[in-house]
Amino acid sequence: MDVPRKGFGTRFNRRFAGAPLPWMLPVILVIGLFYLYPVFDVIRLSFTDATLIGNEHTYTFASIIHAFGSPDLGGILLTTIIFVGGSIVGQQLLGIIIALIVIRGEKRRLFGTTILRTTALVAWVVPGIAGGIVWQMLFSEAPFGGLNSLLRMVHLQPVEWLSNPNIAPWSVVISNVWRGTAFSMVVMYAGLKGIDPTLYEAADIDGASATQRLRFITLPQMRTVILVNMILITIQTMNTFDSIISLTGGGPGRATEVISLYTFNIVFRNYDLSGGSVISVLMLFMSLTLAFIYAMFLPRESKS
Amino acid sequence: MNSRAISRLGDVFSYVFMLIMFVFFAGPLFWLLSLALRTKREIYLGVSRLIPKYPTIDNFISVLTNNFFPTYLWNGLLLAVLSGIGVLIVALPAAYAFSRFNFRGKSAWMMGLLAFQMISPLVIMVPLYRYFAWLGLLDTHFGAIMVYIALGVPLAAWLLKGTVDSIPRSLDEAAMIDGCSRFAVFWRIVLPLSGPGVASVFIITVIAGWSQFLVPFLLLTKTKLMPIGVGIFQFQGMQNDSSMQLLAAACLISVVPAIIAFLLLQRMILGAMTAGAVKG
Repeated sequence: MDVPRKGFGTRFNRRFAGAPLPWMLPVILVIGLFYLYPVFDVIRLSFTDATLIGNEHTYTFASIIHAFGSPDLGGILLTTIIFVGGSIVGQQLLGIIIALIVIRGEKRRLFGTTILRTTALVAWVVPGIAGGIVWQMLFSEAPFGGLNSLLRMVHLQPVEWLSNPNIAPWSVVISNVWRGTAFSMVVMYAGLKGIDPTLYEAADIDGASATQRLRFITLPQMRTVILVNMILITIQTMNTFDSIISLTGGGPGRATEVISLYTFNIVFRNYDLSGGSVISVLMLFMSLTLAFIYAMFLPRESKS
Repeated sequence: MNSRAISRLGDVFSYVFMLIMFVFFAGPLFWLLSLALRTKREIYLGVSRLIPKYPTIDNFISVLTNNFFPTYLWNGLLLAVLSGIGVLIVALPAAYAFSRFNFRGKSAWMMGLLAFQMISPLVIMVPLYRYFAWLGLLDTHFGAIMVYIALGVPLAAWLLKGTVDSIPRSLDEAAMIDGCSRFAVFWRIVLPLSGPGVASVFIITVIAGWSQFLVPFLLLTKTKLMPIGVGIFQFQGMQNDSSMQLLAAACLISVVPAIIAFLLLQRMILGAMTAGAVKG
């Protein structure tokens, strides 16, 4: 694309470029064709009995009733809640502590704050599939399993990280916290930097201790940031798919089969397109609700 | 005196915590490197050979001369870079419109875009398989790239709007008074001045594209089309306990480009992310 030539250019500009629509056209086309249409299609398919292989289908409510009546759904949701809840707690806690320490370290010029921050961010950039493989090599109960060989070296009992259905969900949480903490850290760091420093000065004059400062200034001031972060982590974690499929594949049994994996299995293992669509719509509904809450926290588009 | 002692104690705690966290974040990647450098025999020695006694790069050579691996890497790069360019082409004009025009429902449009960012890609992948089969886009790079673009555009448009916002409007106005058209303003003033923002959005998109798994996993079934994310998953399925060193090397090869790209532009990327994501 080059600068339009004079005669054609002015005419073209007067008619189109002065309005926002032509500028938005590429986004509308791409999102419409490859995002919005599939979203509507998944809603439509949830009201059918479609399979992945055949082309004919009829409209029915049976798929919805069947999907919500499935005895598996309760367990899947519970696993998802453990996965999401554990990740939220872990990522928020580590995120805010690291951010506090990094800020303290920057102030007191401690060695290694930049190294720590960069290392956390590097874990964040690792692709999901690779992250799953890395943690599998750590959790593995074979001789090359990092954690168990460490435990054996100090004469402790090895742990069934991935083969015990009661432990495996927590192992998955640990690996997810490893990848996700950096994001929380960045959000928390920005939030902490945004707190008005005069609040701390006033607290110093009043002789507040460090714990009092944390409890009565930092945490209340960070309330919105923590809440927003919680929503974002929930959405990201609920959408996580690749790092679980390469770490456990949903096993042992179905102990780590979260909702995204469940949807995938219904559609692409059982070829049950309508059943998977129903669960997809459920996921869509949860995401949009969270997105809506998140949007309420965003500052209004101000007079620009 | 007392407060200095407390500060000292605080420093000690900070260092201990920093060390623990460093081990938590760096340890797994260090373990990967350790396994990738080992010979078959040393794999079975676990942590006691954290630093291999007979380090070897044979694993990397063996992976890189594998029949499929170079193709996976090339496809991964191709899809990531093309989708990065595509995202810019689609999102930049929209970002300009969001920043420079006032129109009805603008914030609704922007919130709508943000909502797309929140939807799980899996939701659209469910119907997309059949839809693409009908369009004849299954097993084509073009089809996969278009989905990558659709997934990347919402965040990119938000971040780029922030970039364009930071360019003073008076520059546009001055140019328009001098007879520049809007396209000329966009092309000659806004684009050149949004260099850093455009670069970081490009890198963010390329890294995301490199890490992409779900889309190509479902839409590309031919080995010669698969990108690295899918390739490494297939590779994992073909390995067993006695070839862990090969899987570790393959995994490391897939991770390193993303890390390098990120480290080179860390400051820029974080600037864009915090400006766009946190401040809204």
